[in-house]
Amino acid sequence: MDRILEEYFDLDVMFDPENLDKVLEGFWFTVRLSIIAGVTSLLFGLFLAVLRQTPGRWGALVRWPTIAYIDVFRGVPALLTILIVSLSLGALSAPDPDTGEDGPLPRFLGVPDWFGLPSPFWYGVIALTLTYGAYLAEVYRAGIEAVPSGQSEAARSLGMSHGQTMRHIVVPQAISKVIPPLLNDFIALMKDTTLVSVIGLAEVVQVGRDIQNETFNSSALMLGAILFILVTIPMARLVDYLIVRQQRKTQRTGGGGDDDGPDPVALERGRVPSAGA
Amino acid sequence: MEASATSQPAAVGETVLRLEGVHKRFGKLEVLRGVDLDIKRGEVVCVLGPSGSGKSTLLRCINLLEPPEEGHILLDGQEITGQKKDGVDFVRRRVGMVFQQFNLFPHMNATENVCIAQRKALGRSDSEATEKAVSLLRRVGLGDKLGEYPDRLSGGQQQRVAISRALAMDPEVILFDEVTSALDPELVKEVLDVMKELASEGMTMVVVTHEMGFAKDVADKVVFMDGGVVVEYGPPSEVLGNPKQERTKKFLGRVLEH
Repeated sequence: MDRILEEYFDLDVMFDPENLDKVLEGFWFTVRLSIIAGVTSLLFGLFLAVLRQTPGRWGALVRWPTIAYIDVFRGVPALLTILIVSLSLGALSAPDPDTGEDGPLPRFLGVPDWFGLPSPFWYGVIALTLTYGAYLAEVYRAGIEAVPSGQSEAARSLGMSHGQTMRHIVVPQAISKVIPPLLNDFIALMKDTTLVSVIGLAEVVQVGRDIQNETFNSSALMLGAILFILVTIPMARLVDYLIVRQQRKTQRTGGGGDDDGPDPVALERGRVPSAGA
Repeated sequence: MEASATSQPAAVGETVLRLEGVHKRFGKLEVLRGVDLDIKRGEVVCVLGPSGSGKSTLLRCINLLEPPEEGHILLDGQEITGQKKDGVDFVRRRVGMVFQQFNLFPHMNATENVCIAQRKALGRSDSEATEKAVSLLRRVGLGDKLGEYPDRLSGGQQQRVAISRALAMDPEVILFDEVTSALDPELVKEVLDVMKELASEGMTMVVVTHEMGFAKDVADKVVFMDGGVVVEYGPPSEVLGNPKQERTKKFLGRVLEH
């Protein structure tokens, strides 16, 4: 029993000042990575979702590539995307080994070190944005389709263009409908940031493994897990609360204008926040 | 309307909206099978008919929410069918529409609902649009609800906001699609009163309705539709008072029974 307790919860390992520092610093990477990749994914996903709604016959030229993009990046594991992005961007910006010619990609893009953060951090941001942008585009789409068609008909009958109707009428309502599922995917994204450890970012998993290698004890990894739980469980509860509040609101308004399109919140209910990837 | 009220008398009698042989299909279902109509400026035209007769589709064709497959629609003598996209926006700014389900924008308060299209589609300034919105909302008796959101308004109040929203665009014609059908009985009157006032000011209106009293008292012309065609068309005294067609008689008999 003591062996077991010690393996997972050795307080000497956990709270060794040096280890604790490292783990907290690693988790701080995780938090920053989650927030930055979260924001860029939210914006990129919305961009994709709006492109997907381009109307008309010629709009297909925009719609189809967008759908293809979303399908591809939802279908590829985030881990693979992270590896491909990091290895290829670095390689493309490196000088040609034979001729010494510059690579096709400028160095500041190929090996980004913006704001003093290491390039694996930015590879992680790029790869997670590519992946989660595709996921979130589908969440937004559910929201856009849940806005009753009468809303855009009313806007269009007032002479507003498709773009104005999307921007001022449909998208604001769509977003407020999908905040809970978006938050859910944010929890998944946060957990997926640990995948960036494979390209050498000293985030919480990487640090925990280093300590494990030194001490042959899993307590630092456990500490990382506890830190995650401290953040993700309150967020999951927040999602639940928002869903309940939204349902109450829908019931109160009698679902008056809510009669067509799937209800994205109902779709999401019961889906316990879990790594979507 | 302040402006149009003065220019109206001279223009009354001139054709504003003309439909020639309008057809609309949804897949195999032919909802409109050749509709002809001639609507003059300042006229109030009520469209009656059993459900599924194509009344609402007719309105949706007129403002091109459902472009017709065949036939012509002329607004001020100008063909609007088969237009390019810009033309569609142009038509919709001149033809207002009020819906059965109000379709107010729930994330905007009453004033914002009336302002948004003025600003975005007509390019009016914020203050100009707000001034117009406030004066219209006051006229329909909602001066104390300017900042309320739709979910805090009764159905009748919401519908009056929706009418103000359509009026704010200074349309030449307003289409009313069963605008009292979703209202509790005690709220119907306040909406019909607003419509009567509009009619008396000379607004050109096409009204799909089940309100026989409104049709009898307010309409200049009544259109009876069935099976996607106009069965009977004329002043209410004739169509309602002395119908010639068997189908019209049967429909009126059923409606007036209760």
